[in-house]
Amino acid sequence: MPETVIHTEGLTKYYGKVVGVQDLDLEVFQGELFGFLGPNGAGKTTTIRLIMGMLKPNRGSASVKGLDAWQKSVDVKRLVGYLPGEPALYPRMTGEELVRFVDSFDGGREASGRALAARLELDLDRKVEGYSRGMKQKLAIVLALMKDPPLLIMDEPTNGLDPITQHVLYEILNERREGGTTVLFSSHNLPEVERLADRVGIIRAGTLVGTERIEDLRGKHLRNVEVIYAADPPDGIDRVEGVSGFERAGNRIQLKFRGDLNSLLGVLTGRELLDLSIGHASLEDAFLEFYGREGGETR
Amino acid sequence: MNLNLFKKTVSDRWRSTAVFGGGILAYVLMTTALYPTFRDISGIEELLDKYPKDFLRLFGVESFDITSFGNFVTAELLGLMWVIIVVAFVLGFARSVIAGEIHDGTMELLLSQPISRWSVVTSQALAIAAGIVTLVVVTVLGIVGFGAALGIEIFYRGFFAFIPVGICLLLAIAGYSLLFSTLLKDPRRVVMASAGLTLAFYMLHFAGAYWRVADRMDVFGIFHYYNPASVIDSGTVPVGSLLALLAFAAVGFTASLVVFRRRDVAP
Repeated sequence: MPETVIHTEGLTKYYGKVVGVQDLDLEVFQGELFGFLGPNGAGKTTTIRLIMGMLKPNRGSASVKGLDAWQKSVDVKRLVGYLPGEPALYPRMTGEELVRFVDSFDGGREASGRALAARLELDLDRKVEGYSRGMKQKLAIVLALMKDPPLLIMDEPTNGLDPITQHVLYEILNERREGGTTVLFSSHNLPEVERLADRVGIIRAGTLVGTERIEDLRGKHLRNVEVIYAADPPDGIDRVEGVSGFERAGNRIQLKFRGDLNSLLGVLTGRELLDLSIGHASLEDAFLEFYGREGGETR
Repeated sequence: MNLNLFKKTVSDRWRSTAVFGGGILAYVLMTTALYPTFRDISGIEELLDKYPKDFLRLFGVESFDITSFGNFVTAELLGLMWVIIVVAFVLGFARSVIAGEIHDGTMELLLSQPISRWSVVTSQALAIAAGIVTLVVVTVLGIVGFGAALGIEIFYRGFFAFIPVGICLLLAIAGYSLLFSTLLKDPRRVVMASAGLTLAFYMLHFAGAYWRVADRMDVFGIFHYYNPASVIDSGTVPVGSLLALLAFAAVGFTASLVVFRRRDVAP
C-alpha cells in the first residue's frame, strides 16, 4: 500500500454562509499524479488553499505526510512546491530576482530554477511587470518546481500557456512522477486530466462527488460519434448499451456513447463506412452525464 | 524575523522613503531659513500673546516663547506638519504590507514558502520601523544641519532628545496601522481606519484644552505623550512618555500577530 501524502478528513470551509467545500475526504498517495476536476467555483482552489494552510478550515482537517496543514504549516511548505491558480508575482522584480528571493527561503536551488526557465524558454532578465500572462505562468511554474519538492500542488497549471509549453510541462510532470514526486493538480480540462493523471477526484458545489482511476473514468465518459455509411446504416446501433441521443439523417448517423468503445465499433463497422469520427463530448456534457447517472453512487 | 523578507520590504519602499525624506528635508530647509526673519520681527511676541493659549496646543507649543528656535520649529514643523507627513508615510507603508500583499495576491507566494506568519508580520513591522527611524533621523539631522549652516544657535541635546520621542510616536501609529492591515481586506480601508484613529487621537488632545472629559480621556491617546517643544527645550528624554508610546506600539503589534495567525489568506 503506497504511503498517503495528502489526507483530508471532513474538510469544511465556509465563506460566510456560502459553502466553499464540505465534508471533503480525500487521499492522495505517494508517487501518483492526482487530477482534481470540477467546473469553476466547484471548490478546487478552496481545497488546495486549505491543504496549503492559506485558509483555516471551519471543520475537519487536512494533512501532508501526517503534518497538519494549518498547525504545521511551515513544515508542510518545506515539502511542497505550490503553483497558485492566478499567480501574483512582485511586479518590480525581475524573474532572476524572484528566483533568488524564493530560493532564499530554502537555499541552493537557483541553478535548478535557471535550468527550468531555460527549458520553458523564459527570459529571467526582464521585470515581471513586462511579462505576458503566459510568461508569468512559466515563472510561477519555475518557482514551484525549482526546489524539487516531494509534493507538487498546482492549481490549473496550464492556464495561459501555449500548446508547446503545455507539452513541455506535461513532460516535466511525467519526469517528476517517475522520480517519485507526488502531484496534485486541478483542472477543468478533461483531456489534460486524462493525459496526465493516474486518478481523478471530481468536485461539485464543494462536495467531492467521487474519485476514480483514470481508466475507469475513461470508460465512463461521454463521446460524440458521427458515422457516414456508403449505404443504409446497420440495424440495432441505438440498442447498443451506452448509446444515447441517436439521430439518423439518410446514411449519416450521430449519437452519444458512454462505455466500452469496442462494443460499439463492433456494430458500427458492420457496413461499409465512408467516414467515422469519435470525439470527446464537451466537459459540460461529460459532467452532466457523470453526475446525472452516478453522482449519488460514487461517494 | 526573516532577514530576506525584511530586506525585500525595505527595498520595495526605499523610493517612497527617499521621496518622503527629500520632502521633509525641503520643508525643514524652508522652515529653518524662515526662522531668522521671524525672530527679528519686532513685536512678534506681543502679537503671539494675543493668540488663545490653548490654540497653540494644536501646534504642539505650550510656551509662548515662540521666538526660540525650538518652539519655532515645533510650531512650524514638528507640532503638526511633520506629523502629517510622516503619518502619511507610515500609513502608506502599513497599507502596502499585509493587506496590500493579500490584496495583490503576493502573500500567497510568500506563504507558500517555509516562513511562518509570525515571521512575515515581524519582518514587515521591522521594515516599517526602519523607515520610521530613517525619517526621524533625517528630520533632526536636517534641522540641526541647516540651522548650524544658517548660524542659528542650536540646543543640540534638545533636538537629539526628540529622536526617540518621534520614533516612539510613529511606532505607536505603526502598531495600530499594522493591526488594521491584518484585520481589513481592502488596503484603502487600512489607510482610512488608521488615519481616522490618528485624527481622533489628535482631536482628543486638542479638545482636552477646552473640555474636561476629553482632557481626562487624553491619556488614552498617543498625542498626550508627544510634546516636542518641552523635549527640545529641556533636552530631557521623557521616559514615561516613551514607555506609554511603546506600549501602544506593542499592543498593536501583538494584536497584529494574533489576528494574522488566524486570518484566511486569499486575494
